[in-house]
Amino acid sequence: MRDVHKDQQLRHTPYSIRCDRRMKWHSEDEICITTWRKRKPPERKMRQNTQDGYTRNWFKVTIPNGIKYDKSWLMNSIQSHCSAPFTPVDFHYIQNRACFFIQDASTASVLKDVSYKICDDENRKICIFVNHSTAPYSVKNKLKPSQMEMLKLTMNKRYNVSQQALDLQNLRFDPDLMGRDIDIILNRRNCMAATLKIIERNFPELLSLNLCNNKLYQLDGLSDIIEKAPKVKTLNLSKNKLESAWELGKVKGLKLEELWLEGNPLCSTFSDQSAYVSAIRDCFPKLLRLDGRELSAPMIVDIDSSEIMKPCKENFTGSETLKHLVLQFLQQYYSIYDSGDRQGLLGAYHDEACFSLAIPFDAEDSAPNSLRKYFEDSRNMKTLKDPYLKGELLRHTKRDIVDSLSALPKTQHDLSSILVDMWCQTKWMLCFSVNGVFKEVEGQSQGSVLAFTRTFIATPGSSFSLCIVNDELFVRDASPQETQSAFSIPVSTLSSSSEPSLSQEQQEMVQAFSAQSGMKLEWSQKCLQDNEWNYTRAGQVFTMLQVRSGNQLTPGAPCPCS
Amino acid sequence: SFIQHCYQLFDKDRTQLGAIYIDASCLTWEGQQFQGKAATVEKLSSLPFQKIQYSLTAQDHQPTPHSCIISMVVDPIMGFHHMFLLKNTSDAWVCTNDAFRLALHNFG
Repeated sequence: MRDVHKDQQLRHTPYSIRCDRRMKWHSEDEICITTWRKRKPPERKMRQNTQDGYTRNWFKVTIPNGIKYDKSWLMNSIQSHCSAPFTPVDFHYIQNRACFFIQDASTASVLKDVSYKICDDENRKICIFVNHSTAPYSVKNKLKPSQMEMLKLTMNKRYNVSQQALDLQNLRFDPDLMGRDIDIILNRRNCMAATLKIIERNFPELLSLNLCNNKLYQLDGLSDIIEKAPKVKTLNLSKNKLESAWELGKVKGLKLEELWLEGNPLCSTFSDQSAYVSAIRDCFPKLLRLDGRELSAPMIVDIDSSEIMKPCKENFTGSETLKHLVLQFLQQYYSIYDSGDRQGLLGAYHDEACFSLAIPFDAEDSAPNSLRKYFEDSRNMKTLKDPYLKGELLRHTKRDIVDSLSALPKTQHDLSSILVDMWCQTKWMLCFSVNGVFKEVEGQSQGSVLAFTRTFIATPGSSFSLCIVNDELFVRDASPQETQSAFSIPVSTLSSSSEPSLSQEQQEMVQAFSAQSGMKLEWSQKCLQDNEWNYTRAGQVFTMLQVRSGNQLTPGAPCPCS
Repeated sequence: SFIQHCYQLFDKDRTQLGAIYIDASCLTWEGQQFQGKAATVEKLSSLPFQKIQYSLTAQDHQPTPHSCIISMVVDPIMGFHHMFLLKNTSDAWVCTNDAFRLALHNFG
């Protein structure tokens, strides 16, 4: 029966049968209530007291699968169900379980009752086990007052008042502490707890903490820093022994702006720099500098979740600003896409972006097929069995993408008839789909109208308003209906949502221009607008383009001045 | 794979579709948004068509940041276009977002 006290080791098995009544349980998350009442507590208590020499009882609280919950959420939820506040000691994780210790029997029974009362966001009840235990490590091995005093003096020396920075690099080997009956190994819970206690008392407004070179292989102990020194913005954990970025999750309550991690094994677990940066940023969204390097501006799109909840008849859902952002982006994107030179799109794509194209299955066999040109690039999984080709046709990196886009036939998209679906918005990315039609403007199938659905996943961008990370294009023949309704609205009305009404002078210019050039009024207006109402210049541009294209410009045709 | 599983479920027992969605999932059906697992399953279960003859003519997938996969499926016979964003959580794939557009008249 002693094995229950071999805690802090992996052997702790809350479910092992000590109860008189065996409770059926299906999985860790479901009904498991230990009925330790049926055991013989009084005897046990007495034995425990004499064993430890402590007059107070310690209890170990275990939450199976506790690892998947955010620590502060979990503790706050438990606390909110307790009538009296309690102080968890030595919170840590063993495999999937979250564990901590508490001190007295009344708290223990309150906590036991909280079991199965808290629901997580998957609507599963969280169960909580409470068992007798020896005192936690950090209590058993608490630093003596003399040691605490030594540590405090040493820390004071290492504190920079003006910068509110504490440098605890290589603390163990500090000359003041060496050879003096004190061994500050920060990996040990008692040492870390003592250090944090001193920080809490003496430097609660701490802004920067340097824990470089302390052989830290886990951050369980450090997680209390979130309560003790919540203002810390700079944390240096370089040259330690952290094996996985998951450890950082234990301190993610800190609103870090600068973090140093180089020299930890975890750094080499990432395939490349950007994977590393994005994993760290996941933990600390407000991070500005990592390992001394400035990071590009973080995106915080605060989308009111209530807006997403509203079912909407429109094509768009989401905030107005996002709507504008996407429309503006699409206008910019397609104006370059349709311009004949798609190299300008390099700025729209992320370095590591992916693009692929697919066309429907049966279209591949029929001849004369307007989609044939797309077939070569089509990455339809249904037809593509060759795994090598599959890899090839997924265009990766913005250079490859723009090159392959440039090889596709020249197009003109009808932006006035597009349907945009915004179907995913998170704080770092936006997913939206564009459904519409476009015309081929050169080559064999000139004039044929094709329909497309293009899905983009994008993050905020610099030269374009969005930076595309994924681009999936599906092209098919347009139905007769679609062909008819497409392009019925002249392009100039696209930007006419808030067109300022023309002045008298401008109206006269339009009339004159139209008469002189033979173009329709709308096109004349556009031409003049594009040339900032400089009549002469508009005329020159018009004539020049006429000559260049070698075509007779027919009235009503799109203005070449754009 | 996942897609076959998903459509099989759709055919047999739509209430079981809950397994591939999570509470944070969001479905966009023909422009309308349905937030959460319950709403999604409800909407999918309430669709009028019963068994569907699938002849998926196009499928495409791409990896996205944060180890998700974006998938696209098209079926001209039923006339739909379905996009999914799949995320791998604890060794199971769940669908965090999807968008569905019926395009019954769009295939010439």
